[in-house]
Amino acid sequence: MLFSGIPFLFYFLPIVLIVYFCVPKFLKNTVLLLASLIFYGWGEPVYLFLMAASILLGYFIGMFIDKSKTKKMKRLWLTLSVISSVVILGFFKYADFFIDNFNAVTGLSLPLLKIALPIGISFYTFQILSYTIDVYRGNVPYQKNIINFATYVALFPQLIAGPIVRYVDIARELETREHSFEKFYLGMRRFIVGLSKKVLIANQMGAVCDLFRETSEKSTLFFWVYAVAFAIHVYFDFSGYSDMAIGLGKIFGFNFIENFNYPYISKSISEFWRRWHMSLGSWFRDYVYIPLGGNRVRFSRWLFNTLVVWMLTGLWHGAAWNFVMWGLLYAVLLIGEKLFVKKLIDKNVVIAHIYTMLFVTVGFVIFNAPDMATAGKDLLGMIGVGGYALSNELTLYHLSSNALIFILGIIGATPLPRLLHTKLAEGKAKNVVAIIEPVACVVLLFLCTAYLVDGSYNPFLYFRF
Amino acid sequence: MKKRYIISSLVMIVVLFGLSLTAWFKPADDFSESERRKFEQFPELTTETLLSGKFTSKFEDYATDQFPFRDSWRTLKAYAKFYLFNQKDNNDVYVHDGYASKLQTKIDDASMENALNKMNYLYSTYVKGNTDKVYFSVIPDKSMTLAPEGNYPSLDYEKIGDYFKDNLDWAKYIDIYPYLDYTDYYKTDTHWRQESIVDVAETIASAMGATVEKDYESVTPDKDFYGVYYGQSSLPLPPDKITYLTSDTIENCLVYNYEKNNGTVAGDVYDMEKLDSKDPYEMFLSGACSLMRIVNPANESGRKLIIFRDSYTSSLAPLLVESYSEVILVDIRYIYSHFVGSIVTKEDFADADVLFLYSAMILNDSYSFK
Repeated sequence: MLFSGIPFLFYFLPIVLIVYFCVPKFLKNTVLLLASLIFYGWGEPVYLFLMAASILLGYFIGMFIDKSKTKKMKRLWLTLSVISSVVILGFFKYADFFIDNFNAVTGLSLPLLKIALPIGISFYTFQILSYTIDVYRGNVPYQKNIINFATYVALFPQLIAGPIVRYVDIARELETREHSFEKFYLGMRRFIVGLSKKVLIANQMGAVCDLFRETSEKSTLFFWVYAVAFAIHVYFDFSGYSDMAIGLGKIFGFNFIENFNYPYISKSISEFWRRWHMSLGSWFRDYVYIPLGGNRVRFSRWLFNTLVVWMLTGLWHGAAWNFVMWGLLYAVLLIGEKLFVKKLIDKNVVIAHIYTMLFVTVGFVIFNAPDMATAGKDLLGMIGVGGYALSNELTLYHLSSNALIFILGIIGATPLPRLLHTKLAEGKAKNVVAIIEPVACVVLLFLCTAYLVDGSYNPFLYFRF
Repeated sequence: MKKRYIISSLVMIVVLFGLSLTAWFKPADDFSESERRKFEQFPELTTETLLSGKFTSKFEDYATDQFPFRDSWRTLKAYAKFYLFNQKDNNDVYVHDGYASKLQTKIDDASMENALNKMNYLYSTYVKGNTDKVYFSVIPDKSMTLAPEGNYPSLDYEKIGDYFKDNLDWAKYIDIYPYLDYTDYYKTDTHWRQESIVDVAETIASAMGATVEKDYESVTPDKDFYGVYYGQSSLPLPPDKITYLTSDTIENCLVYNYEKNNGTVAGDVYDMEKLDSKDPYEMFLSGACSLMRIVNPANESGRKLIIFRDSYTSSLAPLLVESYSEVILVDIRYIYSHFVGSIVTKEDFADADVLFLYSAMILNDSYSFK
């Protein structure tokens, strides 16, 4: 089920809210768990069993790690957790990718398994891993209550598109948490802002990207319009989903970590990754990069660590070479930044920002390509190679028809709207803002509903994650 | 501060639950007048439909179709797109100078080839050897002249015309492009207005060595016509009025529709009951029909015209009957091409005028040709 859909907004959510707030405290997690299972089973009934198996595995391994007397035994159980997670992910997400490449290298023609990727598998597998690793490290006691543990893994607000919530961050809230009108309203406000980012901006930009992909009337300018449109699309879609998840979490009393912090204002690639999909970046840093030795190792090992982490980061986003190349591009940029470019970009903010956004945009062109050949064509098209006209009627039409959305997207990706809101909400007009704000939320909800009722273009970007 | 959050929360709760409760308890509608389609009904709930994902997928369609005040939401979205976000089209429909049209830019080469192959088949199977009076024409969409005026992209209509002109060497091409601009079409519908295409009829008739009547009586019933773009644009566009042209000849014509009583019962050229139907344009020859004969008792020459056509011809054909004893209309979207010969005989084709007349829109999406 998608947040940005009529069934979720006007059937699932209201029913869950009624039941959740009517039942006594000790049943609230059970209600959330059942709701999450229905939410997940809505689109993937069969894969409920896979998620249930992953939950049971994580629960028991966490318990065995905690109960093990020796370090060796603890490590053994952790190894089992890592291997089982890698096997599950490997089989359901990467099997065909490996078979395909194996066939290409060996000339064999082993049949593909053609397994439909279980949605959210990368998110919940990483959450379970973070739990077992943290229990192993002694950062957190194991969760005795299987309902609470299953609720943590399956919690519907962040189940299918993150953020990757670590058990340690919500362990206390799983046991006891507070609900209030303040949390409810702020949660709804955050949810509606996220929904609006997704429906009113991201989907419109996504439609431009699809039109670009479908048409044979491309131009050099259209390649750039597409690249910028996708950069806006992916940011507003992904951060919109995170906003919706964080907002829903707040309604139910949870405080999820932030996942985006205005990444497009970054002045370096390393800053970009401190602001983009932060829960994934910190996951790889804490559970892969640092255990590999991080940067406190010899130069060659550091290079190796960086390449491995970014290749895995790319591969996490989808089982295809363009994702690997996207990850490796960042590895190269980060290495280059650290070794050569940093001094240069530190001197000039404008150049630093242009450099960063140029590579981020180029990176997303690779990211969004259906295959490497198309990625190559798209990149060449951007520099005018391929016999394309500089511009054409179709490009200018889509550019002018979506000009305001582009502008809103660019401004909305900066902290300006938030700063303006803060200034007004804390200034002389704060009483007026207090009245206007919920009305604005209702207007936005109405607009989103109108778009969803009309069955507008509404893609789900994370089906390959 | 606390009070503020309580009031704001209550606003949210009232809106969310108000809409939800209305959605849950609103009786389901069967049909959308504005969108001219059936609405999804509550899907069957069984273990099989649940596990296969059929139930959930259909429920999503049901929830969206049956959402309360659906038309108002769609209009709100159209207003938001056009006036709030300054976008130029909604659901690929744009409005310029009061005329709504579909945004179409891509020529579907495979569809054009498909249409060409079908026409070649019809020619070689039924026409070749029976008559050499074969004609072909393409009807452009209103966007041909509307799009450039409003700075919208459109299909390359010249390219479509040229493609068939170059490839149908067995037919004489009749160019009607110069006689059509967007004001010759309905504002809310894709079709042309009968009262505006007399010059088109004259051009086609003249090319075939025929004539059209000089004096028609123009009648405009007091009925609103909300065309197909009315629903698609979701904008409250003012309705069109249908005007039809009639004469003694047209009124005396007998129309035999092969989908009704095997074509044995004669009907009228203009079906006034259809003015109250979901698609009032169907008043012209009663709408879509696979095979139809218009018999003109006023003409005893025995001359026949056979038109392979789409819906545009429904309003044009009455203007062409003057010089013919019989006009036969074949729409291969509703009858298999190989089946045409069982009704339209070799004798029908013998020395007849044969006209292939298709709209560019259909040629660019010809996959319904059978």
